[in-house]
Amino acid sequence: MTNIKQIEENLKREAKRLLESKEVSVVLAYARGYDEHHPLPYAARTAGEVGNLIFNEYCTYNLARYLTKYPPKTKIAIAVKAADSRAVVQLIQEEKVKKEDLVILGIPFIGMKDPKTGEEIDQKTTCHMANPVLYDILLGEEIRDAGAGSPYDVLAELEAMDQAARWSFWEKEFSKCIRCFACRKACPMCYCDPCFMDASRPRWADKSPTADGNLMYHLTRFYHLAGRCIDCGECSRACPMDIPLHLFHKKMAKECETMFGQAAGMKIDDKPVMVNYGNQDSDEMLK
Amino acid sequence: MDFEPKILGIACNWCTYTGADLAGTTRLKYPQNVRTVRVMCSSRINPSFIIRAFQLGADGVLVGGCHPGDCHYGTGNLYARRKLAITKKILEFAGMDQKRFRVEWISASEGNKYAEIVEEFTRDLKALGPQNTFRIEKDSRERI
Repeated sequence: MTNIKQIEENLKREAKRLLESKEVSVVLAYARGYDEHHPLPYAARTAGEVGNLIFNEYCTYNLARYLTKYPPKTKIAIAVKAADSRAVVQLIQEEKVKKEDLVILGIPFIGMKDPKTGEEIDQKTTCHMANPVLYDILLGEEIRDAGAGSPYDVLAELEAMDQAARWSFWEKEFSKCIRCFACRKACPMCYCDPCFMDASRPRWADKSPTADGNLMYHLTRFYHLAGRCIDCGECSRACPMDIPLHLFHKKMAKECETMFGQAAGMKIDDKPVMVNYGNQDSDEMLK
Repeated sequence: MDFEPKILGIACNWCTYTGADLAGTTRLKYPQNVRTVRVMCSSRINPSFIIRAFQLGADGVLVGGCHPGDCHYGTGNLYARRKLAITKKILEFAGMDQKRFRVEWISASEGNKYAEIVEEFTRDLKALGPQNTFRIEKDSRERI
């Protein structure tokens, strides 16, 4: 695996080259926050700003989140880790961004750390892939061995519970929600404007964080992300109340993979599963 | 008094709703526990409707559509099948008893099938008892 300092240098060099040659008008990457352990998402617009860019193991944020914020045809270079690149692929599938407008700077890296707890991020909270699935420039050497373990292993405990126990688990978790919408803000796939929660007609839930509104918000959001969630785990890391939202998203991703045979954000020619149907679909899935 | 479950039925205009009509015109007897809402296509159903129904006190939700391949719009129910399958998984993983949500394909000529399914579903729900998982408050049962 390429040294993290080396990746940072490669990132700066490529960002500088792309901005100087006017190939892109903005480079999405990371900059220092109030200390080393708390980086910020950063958009470099001039070659002079490239000096601010950093990359270290705390740069977890999924920058694909910001792609849909730019006007169409903006040329953007974006630094992506494995899960982030899946988000980019998914956005291309959904025709939110165009491949020709992007320069994807892939970062092959394992061992990112949660800025909140300092713990290493592994397959328990992410898709646990090492190499980006789509990139134009790779900023380090490809990783051959990503390590064992399925991203869905962590679900075993919840799946083994009976329904009443699962409900009491989720009821407790959702009751913590303060409806700050940090999960929605952190999610690269939540780009709807307005979000169904902001709509007043129909008003799906109270604006204040009530138990039933929280249930409505989260369950509907899980549905909206079914077959689209690329398992970056940012929703849970963004959550100030530590609700393990990623577990539900993982379960939905697992079900979509089993039922429809397609994982989100792997190929740009795929069609998202929920706006598609297949000849192999059967009524078994409704059982 | 015996527990009478409340069932929200969501039926597609072209097949299931017409099938339900046929059940009525042929004077078939089936339980009155189902309150049917007509939609133009089963793929028009927003999964939030189903969550909302359970929150407002439905004991069961029955969705009816055309048989796959017979959709009035060609492919609507094929999309609906995927959507409703995921909805079922969400309800199940959240901790709702999956027997309370049922999807059936009932064509316009299957009035007897409609009556049978409503009868069977009502019987199942009576055995399960009232749905208290998602329900917001006790008197919300009166809202549907």
